[in-house]
Amino acid sequence: MNNTLTVMRYELLTTIARRSFIFTAIGLPLISALFFFGLSTLNRSSPQALTSVVGNLPGQVGNAVEAEGYVDLSGIVQTIPESVPAGRLIAYADEYTARQALGQEKISAYYLVPADYMQNGEIIYVRPDFNPLSAFDQAGLMRWVLRVNLLGGDWQLANRAANPLQLDVILLEPPSARDQENPLTFFLPYGVTLLFYVLILMSASLLLNSITKEKENRVLEILMSSISPRQLLTGKITGLGIAGLIQAAIWVGVGFAALRLGGRSFDLSQAFQLPLSFLLWGLIFFVLGYALYASLMASVGALVPNLREASQATFIVIIPLVIPLMAISIIIRDPNGALATILSLFPLTAPVTMMTRLAATSVPLWQTTLAAILLALTAAWIVRAVANMFRAQTLLSGQPFSPKRLFRALAGKS
Amino acid sequence: MVKFWRVFHYEFSRHVLRRGFLFGLLSVPLIILFMAGVIMIIERSERDSRPIGYVDQSGLLAEPLPAAAARDSLTIKLVAYTDEELAKTALEAGELQAYFVLGADYLQTSQARAVAMKRISAAAEDEFKDLLRAHLLASQPSEVLARLNQGDMLLVRSADGSREVNEGQWVSILLPFFIGIAFMIAIFSSSGYLMQAVVDEKENRTMEVLLTSTSPNTLIGAKTVAMISVGMTQLLAWFVFAAIALVIGSRYFPIIQTIQIPPGMLAISLAAFLPCLVTTSALMVMIGSSVTDAREGQQMTGLITLPAALPYWFAIVLMTNPNSPLSIALSFFPLTAPVAITMRLAFGMIPPAQLAANLVFLWVCAIGALWLAGRAFRIGMLSYGKRLSLGEILGRPQKQEAQP
Repeated sequence: MNNTLTVMRYELLTTIARRSFIFTAIGLPLISALFFFGLSTLNRSSPQALTSVVGNLPGQVGNAVEAEGYVDLSGIVQTIPESVPAGRLIAYADEYTARQALGQEKISAYYLVPADYMQNGEIIYVRPDFNPLSAFDQAGLMRWVLRVNLLGGDWQLANRAANPLQLDVILLEPPSARDQENPLTFFLPYGVTLLFYVLILMSASLLLNSITKEKENRVLEILMSSISPRQLLTGKITGLGIAGLIQAAIWVGVGFAALRLGGRSFDLSQAFQLPLSFLLWGLIFFVLGYALYASLMASVGALVPNLREASQATFIVIIPLVIPLMAISIIIRDPNGALATILSLFPLTAPVTMMTRLAATSVPLWQTTLAAILLALTAAWIVRAVANMFRAQTLLSGQPFSPKRLFRALAGKS
Repeated sequence: MVKFWRVFHYEFSRHVLRRGFLFGLLSVPLIILFMAGVIMIIERSERDSRPIGYVDQSGLLAEPLPAAAARDSLTIKLVAYTDEELAKTALEAGELQAYFVLGADYLQTSQARAVAMKRISAAAEDEFKDLLRAHLLASQPSEVLARLNQGDMLLVRSADGSREVNEGQWVSILLPFFIGIAFMIAIFSSSGYLMQAVVDEKENRTMEVLLTSTSPNTLIGAKTVAMISVGMTQLLAWFVFAAIALVIGSRYFPIIQTIQIPPGMLAISLAAFLPCLVTTSALMVMIGSSVTDAREGQQMTGLITLPAALPYWFAIVLMTNPNSPLSIALSFFPLTAPVAITMRLAFGMIPPAQLAANLVFLWVCAIGALWLAGRAFRIGMLSYGKRLSLGEILGRPQKQEAQP
């Protein structure tokens, strides 16, 4: 026990004293917080300053929507609806004059409606800056004018046909109490998911690094003479786990402070306040998820000969952690649906998925408890299996890594 | 020169013939395929083919549609109900995915109500909108109706006529984004290998033995060229994969046939890619020579890979305002240039003079970085087990020529 504590204290102290740890734990959130703080201050005090950096250079087209020309060879455009500001769309008889006007900068771009528009519906939009993205956006007005003229100038009918429904949606079994239109409904669970993913992965990689490094420089051989492999593993896992928790606490704290300081109208409505139990479950799932992935990483660390191969081998281990990230939009849209429930109960994907669900909706208590129990059992099993394979024989052999060896070793057959 | 090729051959074959390299090479296309597969499966499982119901109190939908307005086969069936209670019962029984109620004043207000269990799918809403649209426009001449139903197609053309893209070609519009990513991955994986190659041999002291029989310049030059070749091999392999996928895919998905890559754009992107690859590789050699072990080296590379992600943070600026000062700055900065230039080219026109200045500047940076890297390498050889600071690399020149 004493040995375990020594290892734990050593790992914890060396990790948090390392410059790179301090940078990622404090510097990184601080820099991004400052960045957003600066951005929001700049945005409030002088919006022009921001646009001058992000907007197009003056003298180039595409800044604001200016006057545009059109050449109607099909004869469809008879009237320009009154709601279009005068001078916004200027008619030209042929493309030559329109091109001249463009050259003289009287117009910023022009449309060409070909004579066979009725047959194939093509509209040509000539812009000096080309940008298709802005073009699709800005061409809406001209397309509307064409539609209105197709309907004989009846702009009310054109509007109604374009958007025939002002829909009032009533859900009999709404998935959550939240307003579906609010962007936070998506971004709050999304942020929580990313946070958990990064935290678990990062603290688990710390363990992998520490084992591979000691293996590479052969400190491990000396350590083995005075400490049992299991004590070593337990000490490392707890020590680095505490380091991970410290990091998590700092991140969450800085994030909170930044949101307050930034003055970003942080008036979360009641539906978005995460309850205290969320923090508690977060702690449980982080600790269990970390134990699971850290010991998996440790098993990789025990089998690979050097750090370079380690980073390739971890790929196999983290695949299940990535799956919830890929399915995230579905989990958030339907947090109590079949896919979300399965992923949050399956131990390897549970730590991340369950936190997404908890942030997105209220999860039945039995599911959270069941997921935690399943995860705890799996973690315990993996930690045991890894501790068993954490023997001098596997640790010291210089064989290359292969997934087959990993699974054999986990099953206790190596 | 013989030694140069020997080192080159050793480094190149050591990386390319490794299983890990093949794995990395295949993993990117495989991950893309896998993700596409997952998304398709999820999309399919989400699809709800149950009919939707409607209750019409406005009388709009009562009249039958003229033949010209009749629509093609529907993906979702529409069922009319005379009474909302009946529709509600059907909805609760799971026979309907949703139902819509048009009030008596619909024609004045366009207000309507939709009732569903959990959520209302966009497909269901679109289907019902199509029905309403068909009825609203039922009295129009068939020619007008056909045009309105098919919609129009916008073709964007640059003023000099050299570039053209239409709305249906959204894959081509997004393609530069992926080309930029491929460039970035190739740059960082090959320069990462290079750093490892320098640091490993420094750590296990092979370097000292090697330098007894070859000059530092030959050694580092050959290593750099080898790793750049590894990067190019990787890139080439991906382009071949992509080409094969496109050829096969175009048989099944017609949208792929609309993809066009303007050759000029690709050439300019490649021209920007090369100096950036050289710059990044040189910076990695510099890091590799100034740190003492592999782990420290990996941490330091974070300083280089972090700014490389900037174009993706500011992707929206690059796409909507390709000529903003920020976009221009990103395309001049060597670590972000390949992505920034590719995206600016795709979403706008870069003035030729600016483009030329940009490329020249990138090459100047590349040469400067190479010079620094060579110096760092030579000084690093002498100060063993000690980290080099940037000041040392820049500051103390000729006194420390590392001729073993």
